[in-house]
Amino acid sequence: MSLADKLKDKKVLVTGVTGFVGEALLHRMIGDLPGTTVVAIIRPKGSLTGTARMAQLLKKDIFKPFYGEGTPYADAEALTADRIQVVEGDLSDVPALPNDLDIVVHCAGDVSFDPPIHEAFTTNVLGTKSLLERIDESRQGTGRTIHYVHISTAYTAGRRRGAIPEAPVDHFVDWRTEAEAGMAMKARIEEQSRSAVMLTKFRKDAEKLHRRAGHLTAAADTERRRIEWVAKKLVETGTERARSLGWTDCYTFTKALGERVVEEFAGIFPTSIVRPAIIESAVESPHPGWIEGFKMAEPLILAYGRGELPEFPASPDSVIEIVAVDHVVGAICAVMAREPELNKPEYYHIGSGARNPLTFEQLYAGIREYFSKHPFDLGERGAVRLPVWKFPGGDSVEAMLRYGERAHKIADAVITRVPRGERTRKYARELDVQKRRIDFLRRYMDLYSEYAQAEMNFVDDNVLALHNALEGDDRTKFACDTAVVDWPHYIQEVHCPSVTESMRRLDVVRKKRNKGLAEAAGVLKKVAPEENTEVIAAFDMDGTLLSSNVIETYLWMRLPELDGPQRIGEFGQILRRLPKLIAAERKDRGAFLRTIYRRYAGAELAELNHIVDEILAEHVLERLSGAAVRRIREHRAAGHKTILITGAVRPLTRPLEPLFDEIVAAELAVDDRGRCTGYLSGPPLVGESRAAWIKHHARVRNIDLSKSFAYADSHSDLPMLTTVGNPVAVSPDVPLFRAARAARWQIVDWKTPSTSSRLELPGVNAR
Amino acid sequence: MSRPGFVLEVDDRTPPLIVHNGEGFKLERFPLGTRVVYPPEALPPVRDVEEAIQNALLNPIDSEPLPELLTAGMRLTIAFDDISLPLPPMKKPDIRQRVIEAVLELAAQAGVDDVEIISANALHRRLTPNELRDIVGERVFRSFFPEGKLYNFDAEDRDNLSHLGQTRHGEDVEISKRAAESDLLVYVNVNLVAMDGGHKSTSIGLASYKSLKHHHNSQTMIHSRSFMDHKASKMHHSAWRMGEVLTQHVKVFQIETTLTNNIFGGPIEFLQKREWEWSLKDQASMLATKRTLDSAPAKLRHKIFSNVRANYELSGINAGAIEPVHEKTLEMVHRQHLVEVQGQADVGVIGVPYLGPYNVNSVMNPILAACMGMGYHFNSYRGNPIVRKDGALILYHPVPYEFSQLHHPSYVDFFEEVLSESTDPATIEAKFEKQYAEDPWYIHLYRTSYAYHGVHPFYMWYWISHCLDHCGDVVWVGGNRKTVERMGFRSASTLQDALEMVSHSVGRSPSITYLHNPPHLIADVR
Repeated sequence: MSLADKLKDKKVLVTGVTGFVGEALLHRMIGDLPGTTVVAIIRPKGSLTGTARMAQLLKKDIFKPFYGEGTPYADAEALTADRIQVVEGDLSDVPALPNDLDIVVHCAGDVSFDPPIHEAFTTNVLGTKSLLERIDESRQGTGRTIHYVHISTAYTAGRRRGAIPEAPVDHFVDWRTEAEAGMAMKARIEEQSRSAVMLTKFRKDAEKLHRRAGHLTAAADTERRRIEWVAKKLVETGTERARSLGWTDCYTFTKALGERVVEEFAGIFPTSIVRPAIIESAVESPHPGWIEGFKMAEPLILAYGRGELPEFPASPDSVIEIVAVDHVVGAICAVMAREPELNKPEYYHIGSGARNPLTFEQLYAGIREYFSKHPFDLGERGAVRLPVWKFPGGDSVEAMLRYGERAHKIADAVITRVPRGERTRKYARELDVQKRRIDFLRRYMDLYSEYAQAEMNFVDDNVLALHNALEGDDRTKFACDTAVVDWPHYIQEVHCPSVTESMRRLDVVRKKRNKGLAEAAGVLKKVAPEENTEVIAAFDMDGTLLSSNVIETYLWMRLPELDGPQRIGEFGQILRRLPKLIAAERKDRGAFLRTIYRRYAGAELAELNHIVDEILAEHVLERLSGAAVRRIREHRAAGHKTILITGAVRPLTRPLEPLFDEIVAAELAVDDRGRCTGYLSGPPLVGESRAAWIKHHARVRNIDLSKSFAYADSHSDLPMLTTVGNPVAVSPDVPLFRAARAARWQIVDWKTPSTSSRLELPGVNAR
Repeated sequence: MSRPGFVLEVDDRTPPLIVHNGEGFKLERFPLGTRVVYPPEALPPVRDVEEAIQNALLNPIDSEPLPELLTAGMRLTIAFDDISLPLPPMKKPDIRQRVIEAVLELAAQAGVDDVEIISANALHRRLTPNELRDIVGERVFRSFFPEGKLYNFDAEDRDNLSHLGQTRHGEDVEISKRAAESDLLVYVNVNLVAMDGGHKSTSIGLASYKSLKHHHNSQTMIHSRSFMDHKASKMHHSAWRMGEVLTQHVKVFQIETTLTNNIFGGPIEFLQKREWEWSLKDQASMLATKRTLDSAPAKLRHKIFSNVRANYELSGINAGAIEPVHEKTLEMVHRQHLVEVQGQADVGVIGVPYLGPYNVNSVMNPILAACMGMGYHFNSYRGNPIVRKDGALILYHPVPYEFSQLHHPSYVDFFEEVLSESTDPATIEAKFEKQYAEDPWYIHLYRTSYAYHGVHPFYMWYWISHCLDHCGDVVWVGGNRKTVERMGFRSASTLQDALEMVSHSVGRSPSITYLHNPPHLIADVR
């Protein structure tokens, strides 16, 4: 009797039908089990109802042969009406189920290896329990026998070694206690993150980076750090709890506990537990190489193909238990038709290691062979150099990675402290790429090293028996003997081509885009006049329009009026305070400016103005970047309002007055005799105050900020840049460079003409 | 007696020859048969400068002696050539200082109080106080500058310009009001090369944009063949017509001075000697200089060169009415610069030196480099250009992307915005000139800072229009590829490559003429 006949007129509830295995199962049931009705629990997502999601699912290529011409169904809707019943609902709160179910296949689950502990328990343990309770409720009054098929994982065996039998996992952990503790962690960790100690730490870390930009920017980063910390802690807690009890991670741990829940219900339902190993792309059905989304090995395969995986902490001889998804689905169908007795749950291992082992070394060789023949085409630099793995063992790979992480940290500390410049930014970008790779390696090594070094061997006698019991052409339709797979062929001809295909397509797009980006990089679009609304263009001065800084300009202003020895004295004093000043500048720009401006005490404002007009003007103009001036003038020509916002003192901006409609600068307070008091008449406009000024200005003058422009060079200008629709980072420092790249802002390099010299002081040694 | 200039034909005994190459020089082996034009050696200088000046002032040509023109209560204006002359700047005392002091002396004797001294810089940048001081000397500077009686001409100061009428060709003559309303205008010139002086002094040096645009445009300048020969230069014709109008309104007493070719002294004297005559000392200083320059960072190299001061001695001085004075002056200039060259060549070679009229105390940007090579040196001819029509011109200069934002703010914009659209002088003129000339920011910088007028880069580009029109190929040896390409030229790494590149139009074994200047020369091409 064929499976189709055995399962004829059965109603099968499938959970997780939108997942990888669920989808394949649905495909097989529609195609090869014509008499069976599928009941699918689908969670509404966003604006899509469960029914709509099912309709979407059926539009995928693999389902297309089931409806339309030459089939009994006119379209997807007709197919659904006849074969599928959708139950809207979520496994965290299982809805009432139809009361005529014959079989339940539970393949929904959290497939991530490192879920936060509470989520792992919710889906894998508590979710399973409530599903089972609902199933039980649905048969109340009917007394039906419902065959419950639970899809688990072979790795519920955890860190055990050797042959793993198709039997309950041997452990004495009480799932109720664990679930309760695990669920409580969420609140505990959340609470902990809000303690004064932790908050102080987050704030201090955030301020180290963002204090210059202002308190609000720092606060936003503090909160981001807290949330990030909570998420990380929840994952960490899960992993550690799992390891303390002998499992590799929270996923396998909760899956094992989930089996215990299922076993408790084995007295109510005939129960089968199916434990696939690592499920990868199909060998035959729906078509060779079919895979949905990225599973376990794909990110690593792709990373290797891109030359970004220098080594892996695997034992070359450890067996990687890969199974093709169609074998898994075949086994599930066969299991559905074989109902065990009550209280005697049956276990099925779907692995490949027992009879057709694939060692890590063979896998590596296969992938390497594939990429040698079909390298990724990454731009103009030719094929990627593929790393050669020596399998030095987990510890040395770990040491390598740790070394890399430490080196990166040091390099990063250096790069954020050295003077800015094109080269610094180039290094910063390279460092960021490096960092991404290191993070990737760290994540996958932590996740997978356990699996890659596993020394387990899953006994699969039950599955083999299932396969052998298949009759007629069921043997090919529902094949579940994994020994037939020819690994080199599977890896090189089936799996790798399939998983790299989308990446190759993406590469073409990316290449085109990068080419466009490279051509547009550093080239600002021409500005156009705005018809109905006023637009501003705000410019920072020091570092943006001309290379200068507050200390330098202070010296320009003060030295000309001093005589020789006084000059040396003033210079010496500044030099002595330089380290302190630099430290202050990194921390709080406002305070730094005040310290410098304090030194103007006693100077006559009129005299300062005079010095600027007579001596400094040419110096300032000589240092102006030509590109910057062109841009300002372009804005003016377009009718935009040009504004100079600077922390520099007002007299210094005098040479630039004709370029701007408005200049906002630091005003030196003067006494009744016109002498500077060393104070400012208002707080200096830095960091968030600039943003606030611009916002206020825009409100009052009816300016459209989304169409406005801002140009600045330093991290402290981040808030100002964020307020406008067209921010431009000009020769940015590393933190702003990173922020600008992340936000995809324009980055330009406005160079001060090479003809000006930093060592020439106007009125002192310049001609 | 000094030796006249001559044309050397390169043979296998000819050593490598000096080629000026921006802030540095090269030693180049030219193909056999290349003709190298050497300037005449320095003429014997005037023995007693003071005496010569007095003599010129007291015995002027076609004019009353200066003392007779000076009366108490009159308005006297002295105008002088600005910092663009001479090149390189001369050692102190500047010849203009000596002449101005002599004029002031006579004026004081005559009881003239109302004296103003104006730098005739037209649309050139203002001179800094220090630069003014270097030209007129400490004494004159101190007595006139603080009171505002020594100043730069401002071509954009509408209140202080005076429209004197139009020439018979309808050209406006508009000059400094002070000069126009003076009882006597004394012009003190330095006639470094043949294009200077004559009516060009006042009617260009003290003129406004309105007046200048009549001859500083692509049409006129393409037909100025060459600038060094005022009789064959449309620009000069226009200036001469303006001079006629001007002299009807203003009494001008023109003082023209000429200088010897004694430019390089001290350790770089070898630059003005003929290579095969270098003494051991010359060879040693050449090697030392070359090594130093090759290894010095750009800024130091710039410093070394900008500190060069030329020896320049006075070779002659003439005063009186403009035209006869200029005749005499040209005679002297020609004696110093003219070299007879037989026939044109397929290929002309020019080494562009570090300095041109518009980058004194500044850097030579790409546009100025082009102007220096293709405007000045190419035009250093009388009769015919050294290159045949549609021949090739090979220039030496690194052409770095380097602009002084202080002195040449409109140049960098011209380079980025104008040249990226077109390199054709006439197109550029029609499309962009007005916008740049009237731009308030450039005018502001011209008037208050030390910037060349917004329109000045256009004039540079018009300067080269004759060369652009005449030459089929222009190749820069060792030029920055990007900047050279932006200007519409090509760049080669070596002379051999450059010759290879132009071989499609001049053949495999073209005739070559190399202008070995500075020291200055005019090729009298027969």
